[in-house]
Amino acid sequence: MLGRWSGSFFWLVPSPSFRPQFLQFEISVEAFPSLRENGGGGGGSGDAGLVVLRCREDGETACRMPRAALPLLVLPLAGVVAAEETTQEPGAPGEHPPGLALFRWQWHEVEAPYLVALWILVASLAKIVFHLSRKVTSLVPESCLLILLGLVLGGIVLAVAKKAEYQLEPGTFFLFLLPPIVLDSGYFMPSRLFFDNLGAILTYAVVGTLWNAFTTGAALWGLRQAGFVASRVQAGLLDFLLFGSLISAVDPVAVLAVFEEVHVNETLFIIVFGESLLNDAVTVVLYKVCNSFVEMGSANVQAADYLKGVASLFVVSLGGAAVGLVFAFLLALTTRFTKRVRIIEPLLVFLLAYAAYLTAEMASLSAILAVTMCGLGCKKYVEANISHKSRTAVKYTMKTLASCAETVIFMLLGISAVDSSKWAWDSGLVLGTLIFILFFRALGVVLQTWVLNQFRLVPLDKIDQVVMSYGGLRGAVAFALVILLDRTKVPAKDYFVATTIVVVFFTVIVQGLTIKPLVKWLKVKRSEHHKPTLNQELHEHTFDHILAAVEDVVGHHGYHYWRDRWEQFDKKYLSQLLMRRSAYRIRDQIWDVYYRLNIRDAISFVDQGGHVLSSTGLTLPSMPSRNSVAETSVTNLLRESGSGACLDLQVIDTVRSGRDREDAAMHHLLCGGLYKPRRRYKASCSRHFISEDAQERQDKEVFQQNMKRRLESFKSTKHNICFTKSKPRPHKAGRKKDGVANAEAINGKPPRDLGFQDTAAVILNVESEEEEEEESDSSETEKEDDEGIIFVARATSEVLQEGKVSGSLELCPSPRVIPPSPTCAEKELPWKSGQGDLAVYVSSETTKIVPVDMQMGWNQSISSLESLASPPCTQATTLTRLPPRQQDAEEPQALLDLSSDPHPSFAFPPSLAKAGRSRSESSADIPQQQELQPLMGHKDHTHLSPGTATSHWCIHFNRGARL
Amino acid sequence: MGSKQTVFTHEQLEEYQDCTFFTRKEIMRLFYRYQDLAPQLVPLDYTSCPAVKVPYQLIGSMPELKDNPFRQRIAQVFSEDGDGHMTLDNFLDMFSVMSEMAPRDLKAYYAFKIYDFNNDDYICAWDLEQTVTRLTRGELSAEEVSLVCEKVLDEADGDHDGRLSLEDFQNMILRAPDFLSTFHIRI
Repeated sequence: MLGRWSGSFFWLVPSPSFRPQFLQFEISVEAFPSLRENGGGGGGSGDAGLVVLRCREDGETACRMPRAALPLLVLPLAGVVAAEETTQEPGAPGEHPPGLALFRWQWHEVEAPYLVALWILVASLAKIVFHLSRKVTSLVPESCLLILLGLVLGGIVLAVAKKAEYQLEPGTFFLFLLPPIVLDSGYFMPSRLFFDNLGAILTYAVVGTLWNAFTTGAALWGLRQAGFVASRVQAGLLDFLLFGSLISAVDPVAVLAVFEEVHVNETLFIIVFGESLLNDAVTVVLYKVCNSFVEMGSANVQAADYLKGVASLFVVSLGGAAVGLVFAFLLALTTRFTKRVRIIEPLLVFLLAYAAYLTAEMASLSAILAVTMCGLGCKKYVEANISHKSRTAVKYTMKTLASCAETVIFMLLGISAVDSSKWAWDSGLVLGTLIFILFFRALGVVLQTWVLNQFRLVPLDKIDQVVMSYGGLRGAVAFALVILLDRTKVPAKDYFVATTIVVVFFTVIVQGLTIKPLVKWLKVKRSEHHKPTLNQELHEHTFDHILAAVEDVVGHHGYHYWRDRWEQFDKKYLSQLLMRRSAYRIRDQIWDVYYRLNIRDAISFVDQGGHVLSSTGLTLPSMPSRNSVAETSVTNLLRESGSGACLDLQVIDTVRSGRDREDAAMHHLLCGGLYKPRRRYKASCSRHFISEDAQERQDKEVFQQNMKRRLESFKSTKHNICFTKSKPRPHKAGRKKDGVANAEAINGKPPRDLGFQDTAAVILNVESEEEEEEESDSSETEKEDDEGIIFVARATSEVLQEGKVSGSLELCPSPRVIPPSPTCAEKELPWKSGQGDLAVYVSSETTKIVPVDMQMGWNQSISSLESLASPPCTQATTLTRLPPRQQDAEEPQALLDLSSDPHPSFAFPPSLAKAGRSRSESSADIPQQQELQPLMGHKDHTHLSPGTATSHWCIHFNRGARL
Repeated sequence: MGSKQTVFTHEQLEEYQDCTFFTRKEIMRLFYRYQDLAPQLVPLDYTSCPAVKVPYQLIGSMPELKDNPFRQRIAQVFSEDGDGHMTLDNFLDMFSVMSEMAPRDLKAYYAFKIYDFNNDDYICAWDLEQTVTRLTRGELSAEEVSLVCEKVLDEADGDHDGRLSLEDFQNMILRAPDFLSTFHIRI
């Protein structure tokens, strides 16, 4: 019985009630009684979980009968099923006396899952061991090492048990080991690259595989006829074609395992890999057709059967793809509604993808194609819908499962090879096969590439072709298929098995070992890890549109035309249907890239801050020493940092004495740069929600700090650019660049020092995603900016005093769960507190993880915050606290300023901030400001120009110092 | 020449062949396509070099182009007068730039021109904002758009003058290897 699954686990049974000996535990198919014999009627005890498996049994044509469906993966369902089955298994050895046993040894109840777990553990440990030595893994692909390990383990098993056990079973392989790998590769497939090269991929997958199968099969038959293959290999043309069909398919697992370590350029990789995925349909059809022909006997095959064979190619491939797409659609649709149950999102992804696989298997369609399409199709929508954490969870689980499966596959492959009872060696056949598959692969690639290059914009050159031919690795799929052959129908099965094993080993080990040096030697273009840039994203989109437009004009319905069509369809209908509204709004690729870049910058900034801190030895406690430094230096530093604080200082410079200035500077620095005090966090152990942990809130805060800075430096940039028309400022960009990296790093010290304390207020802003409408629009922002200037010179003193008071309060750690009031900086700078901006880019998902009751509290405080911090005009209507009269007064004013002040100056943000703050904080300020407003247009020039000048100077100063 | 009707004189065709990257056959094909745009406007006899322009309204109203955010810009860049009306020469030029034979620098130059909305030979923040707004179809708020533009400028601005010159643009675009290699259309 093939269901035996044994291995190197030996157990000294300690209980005297058992015979004290080494027991080799075997999992037999009894674990799945209903599957023990094909078509053996469902003797089903508790096989509710096996419905899908049994459906397969009914399918007469199903080529991959699960002889032993041993759940090898941690798929919870399968595990549970297995466990249930084993408990119901009658006649477990070691009858228990009817009395109360003090100690019971119930190995058989846990046997199956236990062994599965142990196997995976062994595989993982092996991986760890391999990676202990960097040298070994850099030279030898992991798959080779695993196969070798499998050989060794198999040898041990064979030596001890005198028979080969624990082999790679086709059922296990196809039902449990293969899906995660394919899902992983489909889901993380770079879809653009894939579709850009779809033509080539399809050609290689379909034509190439057919070519390989027929030529190899025919050539082997010729070899047999010519007498190079011993006559004891009883096989006719059909048998050889069958063998050719299973040996010709490039294996996705092997290709992935080897190519991932080689790092060839993306185009090459996607072509080889895409081929290996998509040729599954062809392989399955060919294999099935040939198999049924062989079983029918070549005499009974009629012309109609050939036609059916061709037709089934389309049915299997298109059907598989369709199944995948249907499930992708379902998956996307489901995740749209998981807002309140975030925790099951990752599970949904896996379940539906697995369902797609099983459905396709059930209908004997191409399951690999189904899962690939499912992963490809759903990714965009699922990623947009599920929360950030779920995304991470999906990613990691997928990678874990895939690497687990891959490891186990290669190991079991090694073990299986040891079993010589299945082997029958024929040198002619083995050698012939090896030569033919290499030769015909190369020939096929060259021929197809020649044809394809007539159509490709970027032709595949010779070197690419060499790598493609050489990268045609065979793997476990071929092995599983050859094991599935029926010995009674295919008398030469044993020879085929041996040949397949040799071919698989040769391709994986020899080619896998040599492909890296080959790639190096041929100087194949490697994939380069250039960081994604916004420019790239931007230009890609633009070019797409331009090309589509030009194609449209000429009425040429080319690739760009269809892509453009598809994108529009997607945007108009699919995305609307499958994405949450919030996700749909936020989800924009350009913005997405921007967001990711920002996070990266923020992280690197924090790292850098750490370096500067340690290298210069500047610490916050050394305040006095700081004071002793020329007093400008601090202000310079602050100004350089581009934060709101420094901009305030420009004003302060003109008004206040040095001492006060220092204090104010420090205060603002603290407000702007400090991480907020850590709050005691209510412990939550809900099963349905994950509470944000401190680390993440920190990350978010870092991100937001970075955003704030960017925003500010941007604002200044924008205004400067308006100037630039007449007055170029060469060092401005320099300031921006260096400023962020360097000067901020210096200033990054305080945040670093007191840092890693969590803020509530900042995270809060994240929350507001749901309730706020489209926040700011352009005209209003502009308005704000200009309006901001109004207040620059005035409210300084109040700002500072107030700032000090509130700041000092806020720096105390507050134990409240409901977030504390925003820092003074945030109140002052309404846009800084993220009400307008930050809420958008800090991904909205975080909010949903917060427990519902807390959310309510947050929402309340948020809305109050918003009303506090909202910029003057955008949400004026919501500000119930303010007298409406004031709005009326301000808005025209703003417009007036906009038109009357053509040279917006450098220092608007603080003023804007003040505007926001003073409005919300103290309504007493308002009249005063209103009175002052009319004067402002003239004043701000006089006041601010010195500030700008100094800031330039500082830049020079600092850059020089750095150099 | 190549067709039953004489559209171009021999010299005209020669000239077109010299000025573009097309063969005679392709020129004829493109001509018919051009003629299709406005059958009532474009004569089938070009031997006398008629000054025919297909107005932008016709091009812009093509159903395929309806959703394309850059339709106007493209027409503007390639039309002589800058307002989007296309002569046959402009039309041929456009495809010539897109053809595989066109050198990368030429492609980069035209791509640059398409970005340069205000025709000042620099891509400034305003130009980028236009681009981003069009690309995102107005889904980003102004603040977000400006942030993105700032970042883009920041990335590509080699000489730190706050705007992208043609050199900046070329540098940046040549750095990413397969940008321009995909900037092709096969006719």
